[in-house]
Amino acid sequence: MDPKTAALITAGFTMAIGGIGPAIAIGSLVGKALEGIARQPEAGGQIQTAMFIGIAFAEAIALYALVVAFLLIFVA
Amino acid sequence: MHILEHFHLKVIVPIEVFGIDISITNLTLSLFAAAAVFLTLLILLALKPKIIPGKRQIVIEMLLVFIKRNLVYNMIGKKEGDRWVPLIGGIFIFVLANNLIGLIPGLYTPTSNPMVPVTLAVIVFFTVQITNLRMHGFKGIVRTLAPAAVPSWMYVIVVPIETISMIAKPFSLFIRLMANMLAGHTIIFVLFGLILYFKSYFIAIPVIPFAVIMTIFEIFVSAIQAYIFAVLSAMYIGEAVKPKH
Repeated sequence: MDPKTAALITAGFTMAIGGIGPAIAIGSLVGKALEGIARQPEAGGQIQTAMFIGIAFAEAIALYALVVAFLLIFVA
Repeated sequence: MHILEHFHLKVIVPIEVFGIDISITNLTLSLFAAAAVFLTLLILLALKPKIIPGKRQIVIEMLLVFIKRNLVYNMIGKKEGDRWVPLIGGIFIFVLANNLIGLIPGLYTPTSNPMVPVTLAVIVFFTVQITNLRMHGFKGIVRTLAPAAVPSWMYVIVVPIETISMIAKPFSLFIRLMANMLAGHTIIFVLFGLILYFKSYFIAIPVIPFAVIMTIFEIFVSAIQAYIFAVLSAMYIGEAVKPKH
C-alpha cells in the first residue's frame, strides 16, 4: 500500500472513530439538559447556556479529528 | 477541482511594505465587506437614540442587553463586568459578522482561514494573562499554575497539566471556530460538487433542498459559534478576574 492510500484510509477512520465519542457526549448532554428543563422550566435559560458551552467542548474533539483528517488528506 | 478551492487566497492588489506582504486578497475584501455591512447596519439602528426606544432602536438594545447580561454578567460578574462589555461585545459582533459574510456566495469566510481566529485567540490569551498579572500580581499567575487547594506533593503532576491547559485554552478556541466554519462551508461545497461530479442535472433534485437545509443550519451554527467564542473568552477572563482557587 503506498503512503497516499494509507493516509486516505486513515483519514476516513480518524473521522469515523473520532465522531463516536462526541456523538455520545452531545446526546447525553442534550438529553440531560432536556430532563432538567422539563423538571424546571423556569431555569431553562441557564440550563441552555450551560448546555451550549458543554456541547462546544464536546464538539471540539470531533473537530480535532476533522483537522487531523484534513492534514492526512492534503499534507501527508 | 480541488475540494478546498474556495478557501484558497487570491491576491487582488499586491502591496508590499518593507518586505512584509500586506496584499489585498479575497480574505481582506470579505473582512472589509463584513465591517462595512455591519457598521452601516449598527449605525443605522443606533441613529438618533430616544429614551423610549422605537422599533429600530429596540433591536440594538436587545443585542447589547444580551451581550451584557448573558455573556458578561453571567461569566465575569456584575461588579467587574461593565469594564469588559466593549471587548466581549466587539469579539461577538466581529466573529458573527465574519461568519455570516462567508455564507454569501462568492465571498471568502474570514474566520475559516487560520490567521483570523488565531489573532482573536492570541488577543484573548494576552488579555487573560495581563489581567491576571494586573489584578493579582505575580502571585496570581503562580496560583493559576499551582493551586493552593492541592497538596504540595501533587505539584509534580498539577503544574505541567495547568501549564498545558493554559496554552490549550486559546488553541482550542481557535481550532473550534476555524474547523466549524471550514467544515460547514465544505459540506455545502461538496453537495453542489456532486452535481458536477456526476455530470447530471437530476442529481440537483435531491441536492438542492438538502443544500438549502444545510445553509439554514450554517446560519444557526454561525450565530452559535460567535456566541461560544464570546462566552468562552468571557469565561477565561472571568477566571483571571476572580480566581476560584
